[in-house]
Amino acid sequence: MGEPKIPVDLILSKLVEDADKARARAHKASDVLLGPLDSEIATTPYEVVHQEDRVRLKHYIPVTDIKYNTPLLVVYALINRETMLDLQPGRSVVETLLAHGVDLYMIDWGYPTRKDRFLTIDDHVNGYMDTMVNFIRQKHNLKKINLMGICMGGTFCVIYSALNPGKIKNLITTVTPTNFDTDKGLLHVWMKAVDPDRLTDTFGNISGDVMNFGFLLLNPARLMIDKYVGFFENMDNKKFVENFIRMEKWIFDSPDLPGETFRQFIKDFYQKNLLIQSKLEVGGKRVDLKNISMPLINFYGKYDHLVPPEACELLTGCVGSQDATDVCLETGHIGIYVSSKCQAEFAPRIAAWLAERDAPEQKTRKKKSAALKKSTTKAAKKTKSSRRPRKHARRTGQ
Amino acid sequence: MNAKHDDNASDQDFLSAWMKTAGDLWGNMFRVWSDAAATFQPSDASSSDASGHVQISLDAVLKSWQVMSSTMARPEVTDSLLKGAGTTPDILMKMAQSSLAGFLEFLQKWFERAGRIGKSTEAYTFEDLDKNAFRAWTEIYEKEFRQFFHIPQLGLTRFYQEKLHRTLDKFNLFQAATGEFFRLLYLPMTKSFSVIQEKLGQLSEAGELPEDSKQYYQMWIKILEGHYMTLFQSAEYIETLAKTMDALAEFSAAKNDLLQDLLNALPVSTQKDMDDLYHEIYLLKKRIKALEKKLDRNPKKAAG
Repeated sequence: MGEPKIPVDLILSKLVEDADKARARAHKASDVLLGPLDSEIATTPYEVVHQEDRVRLKHYIPVTDIKYNTPLLVVYALINRETMLDLQPGRSVVETLLAHGVDLYMIDWGYPTRKDRFLTIDDHVNGYMDTMVNFIRQKHNLKKINLMGICMGGTFCVIYSALNPGKIKNLITTVTPTNFDTDKGLLHVWMKAVDPDRLTDTFGNISGDVMNFGFLLLNPARLMIDKYVGFFENMDNKKFVENFIRMEKWIFDSPDLPGETFRQFIKDFYQKNLLIQSKLEVGGKRVDLKNISMPLINFYGKYDHLVPPEACELLTGCVGSQDATDVCLETGHIGIYVSSKCQAEFAPRIAAWLAERDAPEQKTRKKKSAALKKSTTKAAKKTKSSRRPRKHARRTGQ
Repeated sequence: MNAKHDDNASDQDFLSAWMKTAGDLWGNMFRVWSDAAATFQPSDASSSDASGHVQISLDAVLKSWQVMSSTMARPEVTDSLLKGAGTTPDILMKMAQSSLAGFLEFLQKWFERAGRIGKSTEAYTFEDLDKNAFRAWTEIYEKEFRQFFHIPQLGLTRFYQEKLHRTLDKFNLFQAATGEFFRLLYLPMTKSFSVIQEKLGQLSEAGELPEDSKQYYQMWIKILEGHYMTLFQSAEYIETLAKTMDALAEFSAAKNDLLQDLLNALPVSTQKDMDDLYHEIYLLKKRIKALEKKLDRNPKKAAG
């Protein structure tokens, strides 16, 4: 065994250098942290056009001429807040969609309190969502509107579209869990061992802080250590600090989850996986995915640790629609909406996809020609965006 | 013997004298008080009725006191009292002995239970104290101590005592569960430190130690992340997580149940009251919304 060759002198000199840098950084950081910081989130102007209980319907003020016949309603999850879609100028899904001329509405679920503990998925989907959809339909004098769901909000949109196919023109699902029978995501593994009855009966609503702690535990090395090491390394950079604080503001702004919704979501989705099998019942009605006959585009992240691809990708093969597309982006759960890389890939693609399917309703009544057009679009799309040839082959019968 | 007899006789005389003096003193005091009360007695009939009752009661007390003190002052009674006084220490000693025996028996049972601790934890052998301490403690607690919180409670307050004991029991179980949970969470840390040490040793031998301190951190955080991923998918972690959440829920439920009783004594609504109310409001709103839909009262019409 030879003598260990350790470049002690080099390591020590590097350490001294690092210490000097850290001191200089700390000095500059104090100026940054004590000075004015622009860390506001969700700054795109909107007006609240309708409200039911705690749930508000936001309508974003157009920044250009509306170029679409059909408005788009975005439904966020009940976990965390919809402000993530408008985190900061230049990194905002809302801003991009508005810039493309989309008439944009969004549901703000608000902050459930103890009195909301009895609200079920039925109340959210067939109650609040239906009220908001009807409001927009009536305001624009339309039979159908476009619907876009984020994560659990996407699951709600899938349920809504299956129960109300006559009200939805195009469906966009993003990082939306529909298949829960997978052990790829830790949430899927853990939730099978949790007793939702005990938790709901004891706590009423499930605390947002408790859920956040659970999310941090999904990757403590990165989310509780490395993230803050990164912050200390860059805290002399004003832009970095502002963006970091924006993200912190969003991530720890966690409303509680209504107890009965949590109970049903864990039991019927995570533990029994009823939705993808079209066995789920909401408000006494079976949610048959074959009823989803409108065009569907399904986005998910290849590196999503919360809702892994396996939880998302089965949907397009189970719906009745002939125009269903999967889009797998090389990012994580949140990266789809906020990463610089996805800014050009995600929202602009939605705008383009909607534009292709924005024919006025009268034209869609010509069933034969529309069906022909749809199948052509679908065949073209398969070679372009499909990452799952086997499933798409199955769907088209090839 | 004679000396003892003389002592006894003088004690007897002293006690009789004291009894007589005390009887006379309190007799005189009562008499003086009742005379004074009669002087300030109001003239109206109702008041005289009331003061008359008081006077009768006082006379009765005075008579009782005089009878008692004269009886006590009799030589045969004082003799008996003194004899009794001599036996009191014996009685007290017997009582103390009995209590002590009971206490020792109780202690012995605790010692027996404590003695069984070794047997309970034999399977774990305590070779790795960190690893097994929490489980061992849970097992010891559940087998040996928990029963004390399940001793049937008696009397008017038995339900409240039961609730208090249940809360303490659930708290102990929750403490044990969280201890085990955080022990598991800390495992990847310790493992990652030993792995990085090993890795640095290898790099050192190969002369490939990085010069940049940040690289050491990057190496460590990657190892740590890997260990956490392995841990989080393990059956042991999932089981412990579920146990901890159950224990938290059970402790919270027991604590709430106890607090509910305390709140019941105050003029405030309890959470249960509010939940009942919320549920009723929820059902009412649901019915109203259903009726509104039936009447086709859409938001636009309502606004108009």
